[in-house]
Amino acid sequence: VKPFRSLLAGATVVALILVSLGAPPAEAQQEPGVVTGTVVDATTGEPLRGAQVVVRGTQRGALTDGDGAFRITGVPAGAHNVDVTTIGYARGTQAVTLAAGGTAELAFQLRQTAVDVAGVVVTGTGTAVERRELSADVGVLSSRQIEEAPVTDISQLLQGRVSGATVRAQSAQPGQASNINFRGISSVFASQTPVIYVDGVRVDNSSGRGFDIGGEVTSSLADILTTDIERIEITKGGAASTLYGSEAAAGVIQIFTRRGIAGAPRITARMEQGLDVPETKFIQDAGFAYPFLEDEPDFNPNFVRDEFLRTGHFQNYYLGVTGGTEAATYNVSGRMQHSEGVQPKNDGTLFTLRGAMDANVRDDLSLDFSGSYTRNNFNRLFSGVAISDPLTALEVGDILFFSGQSNLRDALDVYLLPEIGEAVNRITFSSTANYTPSPLFTSRATVGVDFRANEQRILEPIDFVVTGDEGRVDRFNRDFSSVTLDLAGTFRYPREGPVTSRFTIGAQGFREDDSAMWGTGRGYSLPGFGHFGTAADITANESTSQIFNGGIYLLENLGLWDRLFLEAGVRFDWNSAFGETVGFETYPKAGLAYNISDEDFWQPTIGRFVDVLKLRAAYGATGTFPPAFERDATLVASPFRGESAPRFDNPGNPDLRPERVATLELGFDAGILDDRVGLTFTWYDATTTDALFFVPEQPATGLTTQMRNIGEINNRGVELGVNANLVRTPRVTWNVNATYNAVRNEVTDMGGQEAFNIDAGRRVDEGMPVGAYYMNHPLDTTGDGLLDGIALDWIRHPDTDEILIPFPDRTGSIGTDVTLFRNLRLSALGDWSRGASIIDYGTAWATFNALDRIDFPTRHDADGEPLRTYSYTEAFNYLLMDGNFFKLRELSARYGVPANLIGRLPVERASVYLTARNVAIFTPSHQPIFADEARPNLIDPELVGVSSPGQLQVGGAQSITLSPPRQFRLGIEVGF
Amino acid sequence: MDASTMKETAMNRQQSRRTPRAPAVIAGALLLALAGCEWADPTRVQNPQTTPEDIAAARNPTAAMLPGLRAQFARAIRATVMITEIVSDNYSNQRTGLSTELNDPYDMIPDVTTYNTIGATGLYWNLQELRALSDFTIDTIAPGDATATDEGLAEAHYYRGMAYLMQGENVAAAPAERDGEPLSHTELLRRGVADLEASLGRLPGGDFAIRARAALARAHRALGEAGQAASYASEVLGADPTLVFSQPYSTGELENTPWIYLVSRALKEMQPLPRLDFLDPKYHSRESPIPVAKAEEMHLILAEVALAGGSWQEARGHIADAVALARTRPTTTFNDDDARVNRDLSIRPRDDDMLVRADADSPFRAGLVQSRPGPVTVYTISGTSLNADSVRTQLTTQMEVRHAFWLARQEILFLEGRRMHDLGIRLPMSRREIDAGPHISRDHPAAQPFVPDYVPTAGRMNNFSPDSPYTRRELGEDPFTFEITIEVDMNRRLAEHFDRASPLLRN
Repeated sequence: VKPFRSLLAGATVVALILVSLGAPPAEAQQEPGVVTGTVVDATTGEPLRGAQVVVRGTQRGALTDGDGAFRITGVPAGAHNVDVTTIGYARGTQAVTLAAGGTAELAFQLRQTAVDVAGVVVTGTGTAVERRELSADVGVLSSRQIEEAPVTDISQLLQGRVSGATVRAQSAQPGQASNINFRGISSVFASQTPVIYVDGVRVDNSSGRGFDIGGEVTSSLADILTTDIERIEITKGGAASTLYGSEAAAGVIQIFTRRGIAGAPRITARMEQGLDVPETKFIQDAGFAYPFLEDEPDFNPNFVRDEFLRTGHFQNYYLGVTGGTEAATYNVSGRMQHSEGVQPKNDGTLFTLRGAMDANVRDDLSLDFSGSYTRNNFNRLFSGVAISDPLTALEVGDILFFSGQSNLRDALDVYLLPEIGEAVNRITFSSTANYTPSPLFTSRATVGVDFRANEQRILEPIDFVVTGDEGRVDRFNRDFSSVTLDLAGTFRYPREGPVTSRFTIGAQGFREDDSAMWGTGRGYSLPGFGHFGTAADITANESTSQIFNGGIYLLENLGLWDRLFLEAGVRFDWNSAFGETVGFETYPKAGLAYNISDEDFWQPTIGRFVDVLKLRAAYGATGTFPPAFERDATLVASPFRGESAPRFDNPGNPDLRPERVATLELGFDAGILDDRVGLTFTWYDATTTDALFFVPEQPATGLTTQMRNIGEINNRGVELGVNANLVRTPRVTWNVNATYNAVRNEVTDMGGQEAFNIDAGRRVDEGMPVGAYYMNHPLDTTGDGLLDGIALDWIRHPDTDEILIPFPDRTGSIGTDVTLFRNLRLSALGDWSRGASIIDYGTAWATFNALDRIDFPTRHDADGEPLRTYSYTEAFNYLLMDGNFFKLRELSARYGVPANLIGRLPVERASVYLTARNVAIFTPSHQPIFADEARPNLIDPELVGVSSPGQLQVGGAQSITLSPPRQFRLGIEVGF
Repeated sequence: MDASTMKETAMNRQQSRRTPRAPAVIAGALLLALAGCEWADPTRVQNPQTTPEDIAAARNPTAAMLPGLRAQFARAIRATVMITEIVSDNYSNQRTGLSTELNDPYDMIPDVTTYNTIGATGLYWNLQELRALSDFTIDTIAPGDATATDEGLAEAHYYRGMAYLMQGENVAAAPAERDGEPLSHTELLRRGVADLEASLGRLPGGDFAIRARAALARAHRALGEAGQAASYASEVLGADPTLVFSQPYSTGELENTPWIYLVSRALKEMQPLPRLDFLDPKYHSRESPIPVAKAEEMHLILAEVALAGGSWQEARGHIADAVALARTRPTTTFNDDDARVNRDLSIRPRDDDMLVRADADSPFRAGLVQSRPGPVTVYTISGTSLNADSVRTQLTTQMEVRHAFWLARQEILFLEGRRMHDLGIRLPMSRREIDAGPHISRDHPAAQPFVPDYVPTAGRMNNFSPDSPYTRRELGEDPFTFEITIEVDMNRRLAEHFDRASPLLRN
């Protein structure tokens, strides 16, 4: 197989078809006219930003600006229907007759709907498609939903807002992001982070590409922009993601940035000031950890709260300008942000510059460009499982021993000596050509690149005695680039009538190059030394990964009477990481969407109770490609005494292929009670076949492990979303929404391989959830009711008998927003999680210093005589904490200053907002699952815990980790 | 808009409607043409690692593999020392960095993490890899390599022989090829002998041949072949009466793993039996070499042959020779910050005025404990509490000589990976081998450790009393805290069970 030639030939065919299908557009004999107007909420009169206005049957359209205004030029004279769609509103349609060279003005008042079927999505659909036609659920977040969200990274935007998303934070430190997981754990090796596209370009979504400083890793999600987002579309794997092929098993998130709006320049300036207040609920503090210091005159039992943690200042400045002509628009913005962090030596500085420029080159051709530059510099502390972590050392009673000091202040000074900094430079660029030669045919070509360079540097000066290295510097540099190419053309014929058809053909691919180099210098003779060149011993290494993934897809969508939509498609995929014997991988999809409430019989009968009902069913396959070069048999070498010493490396597997996830999903979208309450329900069953396991080779061969496609994993679950518009009056609106998600995960086939651990105490075995707890626990072997032995086994909940797992199996959220007098908007969002159990290593480590955070059980002998207490290794299950929680995640208030109050100020609009994040956390009063007596609140169950770089994170083990802080922000936004 | 502008606009439109096809066709043709250009191929990836094809293209492939064998030999030695020293009575594992099971040989099941690893402490893994890498060099690479030399092959056979020897001493059984049946420890030792002889055959003279002979003396001892053991031992002593062959280590590359747990880590997991405290830490830097073959061991093999033959008076002389040589070995001073902390945070004996006895029936002896933290004397090659003259003159019974023999081996070969074999303990195959091997049943006898019945259970080899002398002293509970009694004197047990304990007699 010459994959390049095959793919290129395929792409060429696609390109030629796209061009040749382009019939000449109807001749516009007369001078075109202009359609302008506004789009507002029918109830409140609030202008709707970002609504899509299209002149039906032409290629002319526009987006509304912040005042809800739009202007469409080049509209042929004559009678037209103009459609407006936007998320959360019913479609608006108005007829207009345009004289040659004339201007028509339209005023749209859109009715809010609780269930969204009119919005348009493009991710995974080949072309823009109304949601009513979708057979699989695609989540959408509009700018209205996210612009006030007090978040610092993209993962937080999803938290509580997307049904079926489990989002778990790492800690309070900068540069990190949360773990995102849709629809359960589908792989035992691959990161479950969804693929992320920005304006059609695949961007780096990796985490842990750098040093692990004790179980906390930095993430490239932290430098994906969170401002100037127009819309986010989310597919959670399965049929909705099939067109992305071998990269999409974990789902696809696509971010669309704000485009320019024609007209005079409109300037937006924003200033935010804030405070980050440490969450101290889980801190035991020095009074507990250092009881022997009680009589010391300077001893502060609240040392951690008072002298280690602090309130950090946050500031953020934004300036944006948009404008342009009918031929070309622009939208440019810049942002500066600084945060101090709630621990010493935690701070971050972020600069972002971005711009979008769209040019209508001709009636049938437009070119869109967007790009951004981000510079993110931040400093962290050692964390989690590192003995150099000051917080852990303080909390488990270690800090005096390891620092060699006799009081906490001097010990902390030692612990604050290391410098851990990271600098990220990132450039993302996207260019899209939209060629629409005819209403029957639309096509686009996108080319783009994401380039990210990060440098991490850890300096432990010679005085840092904790690790005994006598000075050390570690540096990690990585260059990542990804190039995306995406061609698609859609042929719509017939476009009207009882049967409509839409056929899309596309070619899509990307190439990723990831090159990293890292080095360690150890041993300095003098304080102040810190460069490699001054170290006694210097080692260096590098890694390279290159991946190409490309494919061609075909998709046919058949509409019957504009209410029943049938869909069938297939993607053929090739990836450079596939083994030699593996050719193209085929991913089929098929689906059905039935808008049954559009049937004539509906409205007079069931329609009285259920206003809108769409039924949907879809089947689709996606994949996860293996890591680069895993298929190759290799030797590796390392230096030893002046020689390069070879040894066996990867055994090689010519049959290596992607994991395949086939998903069947059924669901409905319904609007009831006069369309005031919307329900979205999805049931899914997703089975991963050819699951990749690292299979140990026989030690007799001297070979280690080889990745092989031998496993099978199943995830079954439901996703439910409810959205209720409880009050809708011109002066007051009140919405409440909630999501619920439950998933059941099981390894259904091990392919003959023995069970194995993916982390301490978390095991993979047939018939069990991925990573279910398997650990030592006390046992009564004599039947006298007293614990006298130890067993290594699965851990079951003492009350429910359920197998305990490290990740939640039920998550959900509840949110509400109230708008008063159009100007004041108040909102709240909370999310909850159930089913996870978390290993509390802090409790284990405290036992080394004879600190009892919980009481371990007493071990007896065979005669029932008490011997001693069990050690934590013998009673590992006693470290398990109940991971249930509810977090009041966000509170916000935004006041749009009325025009009459702005008065003679030189601004056109102004608003003030106050937001808070991580406001309160509610945890079970008794966290330990097994220990009877305990102090409550030992760990923050939201945190994902100890993470290892790169691959699957099931979470479930924490050291002492600082919760994300309470963040308060006061912002002022003005427009000119 | 005036008429001419309108016309122009219309013309532009007309043009524009015609033009898209031509560029598209050109672009299409360009794309097809690109299919022939490899430089433009985005699917092309280059694995920067060495593949089997690269080896085939190497000019001196056998010579190129030898540094790999040297490095793997260094890994195998340090892993063997780490595991066997803690499983034996020499060291116990305190604090948290290593598997707790290492403290009790009866707990050494195939799953023990520190043992069933492919990392630095994986004795089983690293010996298998040394053997497999040697197999690859000797059986796959060398036959097709015209540039392979006798020197190179002698070295390769030596490493494979050492892999088999250390497996034969320490492991109950192990397969030696893909899908192979486990070979018994005797078969492993026989293969070791064959490779070491092959090494000698390739290169009968020089330093390397002395190492091979020393290994052959050790292998024949393990096989119970007294005559050949004595013969090779004598040859070694004849060739180099002060032989020391040590495996060096290198900073940042391959470091002395025991050093990490003896010195480097703040928790200092490896804590010696108090009567051996004076010998700790033998390796005080990350580069400290680990002795592999020493003349002292040859003397002790001769002593054991004599003891096995009933000539305990002759044995006494050989032991004295070994002790005398050991006492000439260099020492150095090292500032040890080891505070001698137990798992339960109590303090172990750490003052040089402590008196220690090997068990309740033995006399208290001074000088076995050095004061710490602080500067200590380090015996980098050999150290012993025995005195050559005393051995010659004061040992008057066979039992005393046997006891002195085991003590001499324990002290002189301390931290060299011999003690567990001397105790007769054999480790099981690792869990990976049992799970992945198609012909290895979970019920295979070598899926369990082998521990002679004279080895006490529950890690009692490591026990002493009082177990926390300083706490008791602080509490004023015990006036005799300067006297430490080890619970079991394993050398006494070995002497009493000499017929079963000595490899020369037990096989």
